[in-house]
Amino acid sequence: MEVLLGITGKDFTIICASKAAMRGATILKASDDKTRNLNKHNLMAYSGEAGDTTQFAEYVQANVQLYSMRSGTHLGPDAVANFVRGEVAKALRSRRPYNVNLLLGGVDPTTGKPSLYWCDYLAALAKLPYAAHGYAQYYCLSILDKHHHPDIELDQGLKILRMCTDELKRRLPIDFKGVLVKIITKDGIREHDYVDDKQILPA
Amino acid sequence: MDALVSQLETPRSQQELYNSEEEQEQLALSLSPSLKFALPPIAQSQAWLRAMTDDYSNPNCPIKIAHGTTTLAFRFQGGIIVCTDSRATAGNWIASQTVKKVIEINSSLLGTMAGGAADCQYWLAYLGMQCRLHELRSKRRITVAAASKILANLVYSYKGMGLSMGTMCAGVTPQEGPALYYIDSDGTRLAGNLFCVGSGQTFAYGVLDAEYRYDLTDEEALELGRRSILAAMHRDAYSGGFINLYHVKESGWVKHGFNDMNPIFWKTKLGKGEFSNVTADLN
Amino acid sequence: MSSPFSINGGAAVAMVGKDCVAIACDLRLGLQSLTVSNNYPKIFPYGDVYLGLTGLATDISTVSDLLRYKVNMYRLREERAISPQTLANLVSSSLYERRFGPYFVSPVIAGLNHKDGKPFICGFDSIGCIDFAKDFIVSGTASDQLFGMCEGLWEPDLGPDELFETISQALLSAVDRDALSGWGAHVYIIEKDKVTKRLLKGRQD
Repeated sequence: MEVLLGITGKDFTIICASKAAMRGATILKASDDKTRNLNKHNLMAYSGEAGDTTQFAEYVQANVQLYSMRSGTHLGPDAVANFVRGEVAKALRSRRPYNVNLLLGGVDPTTGKPSLYWCDYLAALAKLPYAAHGYAQYYCLSILDKHHHPDIELDQGLKILRMCTDELKRRLPIDFKGVLVKIITKDGIREHDYVDDKQILPA
Repeated sequence: MDALVSQLETPRSQQELYNSEEEQEQLALSLSPSLKFALPPIAQSQAWLRAMTDDYSNPNCPIKIAHGTTTLAFRFQGGIIVCTDSRATAGNWIASQTVKKVIEINSSLLGTMAGGAADCQYWLAYLGMQCRLHELRSKRRITVAAASKILANLVYSYKGMGLSMGTMCAGVTPQEGPALYYIDSDGTRLAGNLFCVGSGQTFAYGVLDAEYRYDLTDEEALELGRRSILAAMHRDAYSGGFINLYHVKESGWVKHGFNDMNPIFWKTKLGKGEFSNVTADLN
Repeated sequence: MSSPFSINGGAAVAMVGKDCVAIACDLRLGLQSLTVSNNYPKIFPYGDVYLGLTGLATDISTVSDLLRYKVNMYRLREERAISPQTLANLVSSSLYERRFGPYFVSPVIAGLNHKDGKPFICGFDSIGCIDFAKDFIVSGTASDQLFGMCEGLWEPDLGPDELFETISQALLSAVDRDALSGWGAHVYIIEKDKVTKRLLKGRQD
């Protein structure tokens, strides 16, 4: 019941992840951050098996940063996505694969173009205008199909995000404790203050 | 009286499913839908049926039953909108793109089909018969509550034998006004304002919930129903084909077409700029 | 869990014409019933030879990247472009290297021979057995449907335009009967000194 959502717009990418850290029938934490900054313009959100997720995220985070130190250049969103896919794919055919689903949000600092990559635990990679993982896919993709346009402004993007989180609160049987929202622009990554305390009930 | 009591005591599944050779013959002779079914002549017929026909628990089951659907119905100020897709699949094979998943029980009652195609067709036809009998016996139209209860009790009596159906009964009667019920083969029966059923239900819920209001106009409601099914057809591999749209009003139901989704999809995409993840030009 | 070949869905087909070949694929990337992307092409160019890959999406990426690396190394070493026949053998041996843990892909190759300009197509199983064909090769979750369409529509010595029409009709009709492929298609028509790439607007359900 973990929620990951990503939406691109004219000059930004929104990444959104549920705040509940669940183990079995218990919520261990209601302010979990399921994202890692890979560099100044790339953010990775993850869900999947406990342990694998953070281990994998911190491993690729360190390697992306190491690459920048060695070469003196920053990896763009496409390069980051393909590197991360390669790591998931390599692990997939190893003794112990990483069971992680990823969303990679970024903005290319030179062109200013936003990008969003979807990668599942099998290392299938797809570049998309909007994406989700888990049950959120089943509820939100149809909303995004209807309301998303490639050149939307940030406030419109957040409005669509609100429709998605409202629908999840309305239909998912388990409370995911709200979402953490981060926005990537050419100026970097920032957390968005997302007020989400209204109760939503099915019609 | 004793006979009646004993008949009511035994669940129908035990009562009517017993098949002697004599009953087998009767079965072959009867022409209208009946409640007598030939059962596999083995001890654990229920478990065996499940193993043979349930491709969810056993993907290699030898008897493949058509599955995969999106259906929706919702109540609003102007009555009830009922909308479905038209695809039937057996595994990944698209068996038909022109299935009629709305069943016209009578001039003011509609039923929808999701799950096993044969199960739904048969039992909703049977329900139609029972509703007509009720009408003849009591000289007035059956309520939606009563009709849905007949179906719910019926499927419940076969619980555990592999029936697979998720259906909605929608109708407007003088006693109830617009009424909508959800019934499934587990025996669940719920009254409500808005239901989506089938493999594409979540996609339809997404679009429908976001813009649903009780005070929708007739035009808005028809468009929202159509658009919700379109969304599910696009994202769910096991839904597609034609959009089947009905509006149930006090005067009875009105059919609003059985239209191919393809031209509707491209009109929605190119006209309104929706479905921006679908490419319409090279690179 | 279903077969790795039918988790993501997808279809590809190659056909021989008169002094030309055609190769086409659908655009779906799915996760069982869910359609994740409607823009996931499965044909990859290696110079003027084209490779179509269907099967598990992760292996489509892995195999296409691996072959891009190998073909680039070949071009640097040999100082010439790779021919379709050589690429076929390279694909075959690369797949067989994973005999005991295969890539879950069904590749298809289409190209014109560099020396005599003769059309060449072939297909493979997932561990590298080459299937040479003089008419057409199909692969993917709609392969049964594609076999039927190709047997019905294909004839010898089709010109580039007729070949485009034939392969497009075959692919579109085939994927319309498969739940896991479709959502648009790419078609390449390869002639002696011209390659035409076209997008087909397929049904979006």
